[in-house]
Amino acid sequence: MNTSLKAYEPIVGVSALKQLRQLAAGLSGCRVVHVNSTPRGGGVAEILSWMVPLMKDLGIDASWEVIRGDETFFKVTKAMHNGLQGQPVEMSGKDTRTYLETNEANVKRLRDKLEAADFVFIHDPQPASLLKLCTGRKGKWVWRCHIDLSRPHRPVWKFLRSLVEPYDASIFSMTEFSQQLPHPQFIIRPSIDPLNDTNRQLDPHEIEAIVTSYGVDRLRPLLVQVSRFDRFKDPVGVIKMFHMVSQVARVQLVLAGGGAEDDPEGDAVYREAKDEANNHPDIHVLQLPNDAHTSINALQRAADIVLQKSTREGFGLTVAEALWKGKVVIGGDTGGIRMQVHNYHTGFLVNTAEGAAHRIRYLLRNQELMREMGTKGREFVRENFLLTRHLREYLTLMNGLRKGLDKELLV
Amino acid sequence: MPKPFMVRDCALVIVSVSIPPVYDLRDLRERLEVCPGESLYHHFCQTLLRPTFDDPEYHNDLAFWARHSLHDKTLAERLAILNPFEFRTLEGLRLAVLDVIEDRIGELPHISNVQTGDEFRFLQALTVTFETGLSAREPGELLGAIRQMTPSSIWYHFIESRRRNPDHLDDFTCWLRDHGLQDEPGMRKLGEIDFYFMSLRELQQEILSLFETRAFGGLSS
Repeated sequence: MNTSLKAYEPIVGVSALKQLRQLAAGLSGCRVVHVNSTPRGGGVAEILSWMVPLMKDLGIDASWEVIRGDETFFKVTKAMHNGLQGQPVEMSGKDTRTYLETNEANVKRLRDKLEAADFVFIHDPQPASLLKLCTGRKGKWVWRCHIDLSRPHRPVWKFLRSLVEPYDASIFSMTEFSQQLPHPQFIIRPSIDPLNDTNRQLDPHEIEAIVTSYGVDRLRPLLVQVSRFDRFKDPVGVIKMFHMVSQVARVQLVLAGGGAEDDPEGDAVYREAKDEANNHPDIHVLQLPNDAHTSINALQRAADIVLQKSTREGFGLTVAEALWKGKVVIGGDTGGIRMQVHNYHTGFLVNTAEGAAHRIRYLLRNQELMREMGTKGREFVRENFLLTRHLREYLTLMNGLRKGLDKELLV
Repeated sequence: MPKPFMVRDCALVIVSVSIPPVYDLRDLRERLEVCPGESLYHHFCQTLLRPTFDDPEYHNDLAFWARHSLHDKTLAERLAILNPFEFRTLEGLRLAVLDVIEDRIGELPHISNVQTGDEFRFLQALTVTFETGLSAREPGELLGAIRQMTPSSIWYHFIESRRRNPDHLDDFTCWLRDHGLQDEPGMRKLGEIDFYFMSLRELQQEILSLFETRAFGGLSS
C-alpha cells in the first residue's frame, strides 16, 4: 500500500496532486477519524486502507478505528445489511439490543477520540449508533453509506434512520440511494487504488503462474467474476450463464471471492455455488484468503471478459478494477454498475443469465471491439474512478462542512 | 496597471436535492417549477466537472435522461440544443426548459413513464474555489499559465466566470481587455468559441491554439 501521494503522479499527473494539496491546505492538522466494522475484506476496508494514509500525507491527522463485535452482533448487522438492500428480514427486540449494546461496548474505548475529532466518518450501519453515545462531540459527524439503500425494507430503515438523522451530513455512492433525511446528502462515488496489490501492473509470468495454479487453461477463453460469496452477487446465476455459453464456446469460469469478517453468510453461499458447479472441470469456485489481492489481480488480468452479475450492488468496485485492467465488463443492470458499464463503450448491462450469455457470445466473436472497449474503459476509470478524485471530493465536503454549505466557497 | 491574473481552481461535490424523483414529463414539469436555480445550473453547466461518462451528444442531464431513460428522441434533441449561457438568468433558462416540456406534453397522445431505477433525480453541487499560486502579470504570461491549468480551472475561468462577470464574459477576455487588447482580432475569436460541446481538455486546447496563433500578436512569444 502506498502512503505517499507522490507515487500516483505518473498515473494521474502533477496537477491532480497539486489540486489535492491546495484543497487540503485549510484542513491541515484537522483530526479525522474513520470508523467501520472490519479491518479487511470488502470494499470499505479497501477504501480506508488508502484513504487514511493519503489524508495523513496531506497534513490531516487521520486515523481508522474498527468496532469489535461477536458473531451474534455480525449476524444482526448482516441481517440489517440485507434488509437495507431490500430483503424482508426481521429484526427482533433482542437483535436491536445486541446492536445497541455492542455499540455501547465500543464507545467506552473510542469516546475520547471520537468526541475530540474535528470530523468523524462512520461507515455503514454497524457503528451508526456511536453518534448518540458521544454526547460531548465537538466535530462534524458524517454517516457514509456504502450500500444500496434504494429500496430498503422499511422496518430496518426506520430503525437505522433514527440513528443517522442527527448526523451533520451523509454520503451515498449513488443518487438513487439517498433518503429523506434532515441534513445534506452528498453523493460520492467510490474509487480504486491503481497501485495496490489488487490493481498494480503484474508481470505476465506472474499472471501465468498464479492462474495456472488454479487449473485454468491459458489457451481457452476465461470468464471471471470476483466478489464476496453473497446472494446479491448471484453466483448461481453466473454458473447458469456459463452452461449456456459453454454449449457453443470452450470457455472456463472462475468465481473467486474472499469472505469478510462481518459477513457470516459467506460460507453458505460458497457451498451453494460449489453445489451448482457440481465439479464441472471448467468451473473454478475459489474461496480465497482475504489477503489474496495479487491472485485477484492476476485472475482479472487473465480474464477475457469480467462479470459482475449482481442483482443489487452498492457501487461494485470490482467493476472499476476490471475496467482499469482494460477488460470489458458484463454487469448486472443495478446500482453503481450502471454508472460504470456503458453498452458498447465499456461493457454491457444485463438483467438475466440469458442476457449475460448472449453478450459474452457476441464479444467473443468481436475481439477487436472488445479491445477498443477495454481501452476506453481504462481511460474512463482514470478520469473518474481513481482514488485521487475520491479524496478530492472528501476534501471538498470537509471544507464545505467546516465553512458552511454555501453554493460556492473560497478557501 | 491592471492586477495580475490570479489562477484559481475549483472542486465540487454533488449534493442531493430534496424533491421527489421524476418518472414522467408531468413530474418533470412540476419539479422544474420548484427546483433550486443551482440545481438547474448543475444539470446544464457543471456536468463536465462530474465523474460521469461523457456523452458526446447530450451535455445536459435533462436531454440525456430524455434520450436514454424516457427514450423520447424528439424531446432529447430539443433539450440538447438549449444553450444555458444564452440566458441572462437561471430563471430565463428555467422558463425555456419548461416551454420545451409543455410543448412536448401537448404533442404526445399519452405520457409514458420510466421504470424505477430510470427516474431523474435533481442534484446540485457544493463548489469550493481555491488559489493555485499560479499567476500572469502581463498578457505574455497568460499562455504559460493556461498551459498549466487543470480542466476544472479552465471551467472556472472560461465557463463559470460567465455568471460572475459583467456582460457574461470569460475571465481571460475581461483581463485582456483591461490590458487594452480589446481590438486584437483574437478577442473576437475567443468570444466565439463554441465550448458547450467540448470536453474541458478540448476547450483548453482550443484556447491555447488561439493564443499561439497570430490572432493575439505577441502573446505566444
